[in-house]
Amino acid sequence: MSTSVRRLVTGAAGLSAVAFLAGCAKNAPQDTWQPKGPNAQKIDDLQKPVFAIAGIVGVIVFAAVAYAVFRFKDRGQPIPEQTHGKPVLEIGMTILPALILAGIGVFTFQTVFDLAKTDDTEMVINVTGQQWWWEYDYPAQEQYGITDPIITSGQLVIPTGTKVLLRETSRDVIHSYWIPALNGKRDAVPGRVHYLRLEADEPGIYAGQCTEFCGLSHAVMRMEAVALDKEDFAAWVKGQLSLAESPAEGTLAKEGEAVFLNQCVRCHQVNGLKKADGSPAIAAPEENVWSGVAPNLTHLMSRNTFAGASWDLLTKACRSDVWNASSEEFGKKYLTGVSEECLNQTDLRRWLRNAPAMKPMYADPTKLGPTDGKYRGMPNLGLTEDDIDKLVAYLATLK
Amino acid sequence: MFTNGSKYFIGLSGFSAVALVIYIFTVDGAVGGAVALTSIMIASGLLAGLALFNRDGDVQVGDASAPANAEPLGSSLWPLVSTLGIVGMGIGLITHEIVFLLGLVALSAGFVEWVIQGWSESASSDRTYNASVRGRLIHPLEFPVLAAVGAGALVLSFSRIMLAISKTTGAVTFIVVGSLVLAGGVLFATKPNLKKTLAVGLCAVGAVGIVAGGIAGASVGKRDQLVKANEEDHFAHKECGEEKSEHFDFNAEGKVSMRSNPIATVEFTDGKLQARELGLDTYTNRITVQKSNDISIIFRNKTEGEHRLTLFYGEKEVQDGVVEELHNCTQMIEKGEEQLLTFRIDRPSFASEKPYKFYVPGVEGQSIEVVVP
Repeated sequence: MSTSVRRLVTGAAGLSAVAFLAGCAKNAPQDTWQPKGPNAQKIDDLQKPVFAIAGIVGVIVFAAVAYAVFRFKDRGQPIPEQTHGKPVLEIGMTILPALILAGIGVFTFQTVFDLAKTDDTEMVINVTGQQWWWEYDYPAQEQYGITDPIITSGQLVIPTGTKVLLRETSRDVIHSYWIPALNGKRDAVPGRVHYLRLEADEPGIYAGQCTEFCGLSHAVMRMEAVALDKEDFAAWVKGQLSLAESPAEGTLAKEGEAVFLNQCVRCHQVNGLKKADGSPAIAAPEENVWSGVAPNLTHLMSRNTFAGASWDLLTKACRSDVWNASSEEFGKKYLTGVSEECLNQTDLRRWLRNAPAMKPMYADPTKLGPTDGKYRGMPNLGLTEDDIDKLVAYLATLK
Repeated sequence: MFTNGSKYFIGLSGFSAVALVIYIFTVDGAVGGAVALTSIMIASGLLAGLALFNRDGDVQVGDASAPANAEPLGSSLWPLVSTLGIVGMGIGLITHEIVFLLGLVALSAGFVEWVIQGWSESASSDRTYNASVRGRLIHPLEFPVLAAVGAGALVLSFSRIMLAISKTTGAVTFIVVGSLVLAGGVLFATKPNLKKTLAVGLCAVGAVGIVAGGIAGASVGKRDQLVKANEEDHFAHKECGEEKSEHFDFNAEGKVSMRSNPIATVEFTDGKLQARELGLDTYTNRITVQKSNDISIIFRNKTEGEHRLTLFYGEKEVQDGVVEELHNCTQMIEKGEEQLLTFRIDRPSFASEKPYKFYVPGVEGQSIEVVVP
């Protein structure tokens, strides 16, 4: 082998090794090869043998091609005898792949039907996509203590070991819901309801990503499924059913409440928030937002993320503490929510200062003609630093 | 230098360009016309280039060796059609927009045909060849347009017939016509040796019959029920309480929309209203629906008599101080029937003093609460 060929082969082998080893990253929360629930496990049980068979076939084909290339390389030898076809070989080479595909097909169909099963559902949650975040609402289900519907966003909270049926739809364009560790992906289509079953074996946070291109900020339309054991889930439900309490008079948070009432309540609902006259403050996102909704912020600080799960409400260290908690400790740490010392004020303030600068959105007030003057995303509200201080103080009370 | 064909298309392209400029300066904000004129300008420009490139298909015009127009030219209907078009446009300006548009279509068609015929007749001294040249140019346009006009006339005529006759007669007519078409198809498929003229004759008789029926139907007018339903404004305004309309869309089941993924089924069984959300295998008297989203539910009537499901979803101020309740509802359906109801609620239920609910008008004490979080 000449030196140049040797270098080429060495380089190619090194590059392949790097690409191969990149798939072994430990910190890969959206790795499809690490199932954390029975549905994802079914997919994994199917995909591994299929990849193995495909790999074996690929190796055989490459080896045969390589053998033919080197064995029959033109060395000036006479052209061998030419024959026209070998029926036995040709028929065999047709039947064998057909049999392999048929075998794979049987198991594929079986898995597809297994994943589509809904008759043993234990809990349902409505999942609604819009540009560029997910809303979750839980219909009343007394057996889980959900005596009134719960509404939240960004993080989907489910009990472990429970067959949860997501009823997916969309308010604007087609999105796709995908938590790789818990199941495959399913499109959320306006006007239709699609079903996706999730079930988590262990408590923890499972990351996901919208997988259907849905506009400017598709890349930052993320989601997280949070699995809590049944006891912790009950505690979470209890917390979500409570109303927001008004901050004490004379505090910065109380001033922030006034800013919220003046600016934010046009789109964002906080259940329990009252106007100065004592009447309930009702948000009217249908008048200002193209999709007709904006995230309900009643329990914002019970979530770990904001802005479509794209930014952390927790500081890096606190976030890492929750993510890396053991199964036994996870629920307690998650339910602590966002404490004052753990609040990621940097990103929250940046967001309040100029949201479209962080996440591209159709929020330029001069370019809202096609949407009848309605925003797709949060606009720059032109808040002063003083207002931002007050708002952050108020938002921090929304536990 | 310029061939006859290229002159025509260059002229058309130039005319379109001028019309485009005038259009842009005189019509404010209308994009469709500008796009159409630009398309004509570009298309005719391209055709002009093609005509120049292939020298009108190498047609020899004014060949000195051939006697010019040895055969007399045929008569042309197109000047008459164009004239009728101009007259129609004039009458349309006074009477109705549709007459004006028909006149414009006649004028445009007559003009194009006249120009093409004039050009083709001077292509050579051979009339047969001239006719084939004309056909090559105009048939790709004529055939689809004539086919579309013919099909449109048949559809329009058939619809006039169906609107004029009663519902029962309409169903019978549809079955008879469909059977005749099927029988004709079977006949010609199994007897390929039948004369072509027979097939043409049968189709022509059928088409004439349908058009004649359509004219008769149009002159008679729509059947009484449709006229009265229109007068009752039933199409624009749903009657969600007790049925007051006489001619409502009785038992409209909307079978196709039944497949549009309803999130719940509401059943009225022996006088009791109950709901079942998809995925939850228990009956409930409360269902949760998403805000600002199109929601579909199925209503099944399992109680004797005709009933409808009505949704109350809040109030809306329609004028200063005037508040109107918001309702949506299915049609009246008999026992054993089902119907889809699609609705959208933009305000959360806690924003309303009165709870949102499904109920059956005329039935007391039975309702399903609708919660919009």
